[in-house]
Amino acid sequence: MPVRLLLLAALVATAVWGFRRLLLGYAVLPAATQVLCRREWALVDGVSEAMFPAGGAIPPSGREAGVNEFVDRYVAGVPAGVRLLMRMLFLLVEQATLFFPAPGPGGRRRFSALEVEQRVAVLEGWRTSSLFLRRLVFTSLRAILCMGYLADPQVLRHLGVAPYDIERVVLEPDLLYPPVGQPRSAIRFREADLTPPSDGTPLDLDGPLHPDYREGSP
Amino acid sequence: MTVAATPGEGEVRVFADYTGDFQEEADAVVVGSGPTGAVVAYELAATGKRVVLLEEGPPFTPDDFVLEGARSMTRTLREGGLRTTRGHVVPTMQAIALGGGSLMNSAICPRAPEAALDAWCTNFELSRTTRKDLDPHYDAVGDFLGIAPTPDDVQGPRNLLFRDGCRALGYSSEPIPRNVRGCRGSGECFTGCRSRAKQSMDVSYVPAAIRAGARVLTSVRVERVETTGRRADAVVGRVVEPFTGKAGARFRVRARLVVLAAGCMATPVILLRSGNLANRSEQVGRNLQFHPGVAITGIFPEPTHPQFGATQGYQSLQFLDEGFKLETLWAPPAVLAVRTPGFGLAFKERLAEVPYSATWDAIASCHRSLGRVTPRRRSMDPVLHYQLHPEDVKILQRALYVLAEIFFAAGARKIQPGVHGLPEEMHSLAEADAIRTRAMRATDLVCGGNHAFCTTRMHGDPTKGVVDEDGQCHDLENLYIADTGIFPRCSSVNPMFTGMALAHRQAGLIADRLP
Repeated sequence: MPVRLLLLAALVATAVWGFRRLLLGYAVLPAATQVLCRREWALVDGVSEAMFPAGGAIPPSGREAGVNEFVDRYVAGVPAGVRLLMRMLFLLVEQATLFFPAPGPGGRRRFSALEVEQRVAVLEGWRTSSLFLRRLVFTSLRAILCMGYLADPQVLRHLGVAPYDIERVVLEPDLLYPPVGQPRSAIRFREADLTPPSDGTPLDLDGPLHPDYREGSP
Repeated sequence: MTVAATPGEGEVRVFADYTGDFQEEADAVVVGSGPTGAVVAYELAATGKRVVLLEEGPPFTPDDFVLEGARSMTRTLREGGLRTTRGHVVPTMQAIALGGGSLMNSAICPRAPEAALDAWCTNFELSRTTRKDLDPHYDAVGDFLGIAPTPDDVQGPRNLLFRDGCRALGYSSEPIPRNVRGCRGSGECFTGCRSRAKQSMDVSYVPAAIRAGARVLTSVRVERVETTGRRADAVVGRVVEPFTGKAGARFRVRARLVVLAAGCMATPVILLRSGNLANRSEQVGRNLQFHPGVAITGIFPEPTHPQFGATQGYQSLQFLDEGFKLETLWAPPAVLAVRTPGFGLAFKERLAEVPYSATWDAIASCHRSLGRVTPRRRSMDPVLHYQLHPEDVKILQRALYVLAEIFFAAGARKIQPGVHGLPEEMHSLAEADAIRTRAMRATDLVCGGNHAFCTTRMHGDPTKGVVDEDGQCHDLENLYIADTGIFPRCSSVNPMFTGMALAHRQAGLIADRLP
């Protein structure tokens, strides 16, 4: 009996330890988060810091470029099946270092709990792996975060590839279709609003940027 | 089932208009408003037929376009723009919008080369699908859409550098013919043309069809074709909410003739979900082909202002005989950066070179690489299986090397080949020789599944194909298919124009057969 009790106690202790190690101990989420859970937020933050550190050729860091907030919005916007796959990807990367530890002391921790140098080493391992599926994990993860970094207006302005402002032309189709999701009564143009079509004048490279991408835009 | 009020002739309905289950009647119902469906709908309506055009996606206005690449893809592409094949994992896309892929593509409209169409005829027992047969239909569609070569003043440096590189090597190159009127060089084809210059179907054929009396129902998903004996009677499906895809009211459209133009990846799913319809040949969903694409980014000493210029303005058809076509390419930086090597500060350094960059791609005719479309459980999305044949990998490898040649001939100071196992950056053609000499596997390449074909292929022999040369299903009297699924083999060049030319021909035949 005592042996059985001991085994049971050991089992419970292992389960509690495993549960804590896998799922607990994450920081509280920012209030406006849509779908990411604490674990996912910490993972994205950890990858973002390794991938887009502060300084260097483009000043904003991943955090300053709002990568976490972007990923949260992005994951919320994709279809449910794709969202599930993304969450599995995040879970895989976050927990993999418990089984395949990062180099250096304390390497057998969750990805987000590793030192930044260890996270870089882990990501480098995924990126250069001879196994296609490991590279695919890295490529998928980086693609998601990259889309966030390069969605940031200050990053795009720095690269000189922010979209231009383009005058709105109003053509016949604009009298037919309302904005997506709205009734036809929401069509805001009438025949009197029609403008000539584009005459093909090339955009001015020094012209104004789209309002959402100008300095000081929200 | 309640019957909602029938809209007047020549009208468009959007999601907010559906208040309950409804039925419609028509001479012809066309499923899918992409380039081929829109052509059929307009041409039939123009002959006085009562046409209902059904589209699962909503109409987008310039106010709905989102410039951020990821969000734009989520809104306008199926599966959030993250659809991939199984087997060899290749990303591929299908639009969900009025106008279909024409809303989000770069308007490339070359005619299929004579040799490609001759091969169709020879290998698939066809007799009226040579270039000479299709030229009058290309002409009609081309005139309607204003298809013309991209003018130099909206090319921008990254397109013209490609021309210069080709010239230096003695390779042919030409401005890409596009369905565009008044392009301003915004480079925003993939997120929606804010200048309204691109003649996507939602601003060209669909409004023309409405003017001619067609009824256009958006946000409706066709799930099944109903039949009696050898005749299709109706299509049935559900209203779906834009972006969320939540299914609502049911609908049924009865028609004397049904045209499926839902796309090469959706039409087979509809047929298979309709009780394995039109599939005595057992070819529905089989023979899936793509134009797999690879790309190289080059960095030049001078700024290329890559955000300016036609999205894809120049091409080279020099290597069609070898199985590939070369093009210039621009996309939202967030999408292009997926190929940029490295991460951390080194990655940021490479991103900082975007203003000096140009990306050029190759699409390959991979006849040996085949796949299959099957329905996904409890979904109208497809499961795609695809295997890239080793011989086709060699074509892609050769194409990458030719791109490298052109980059260095155009004065690039380095290139990023994006091939696993090769250096991330190469600074000379001698270094790039490794692209040519290394043994490559499909998984070494960053490869995209462009275009899609052949899943309901046409064949003169009813035991080997789903439709005949007119696009009529061998097994049914009044069911037609009018998308790129009917191509018996990939078209060697971008398929939209050829799909529309075939649809134009089909529409004429259908109009004659529908008294």
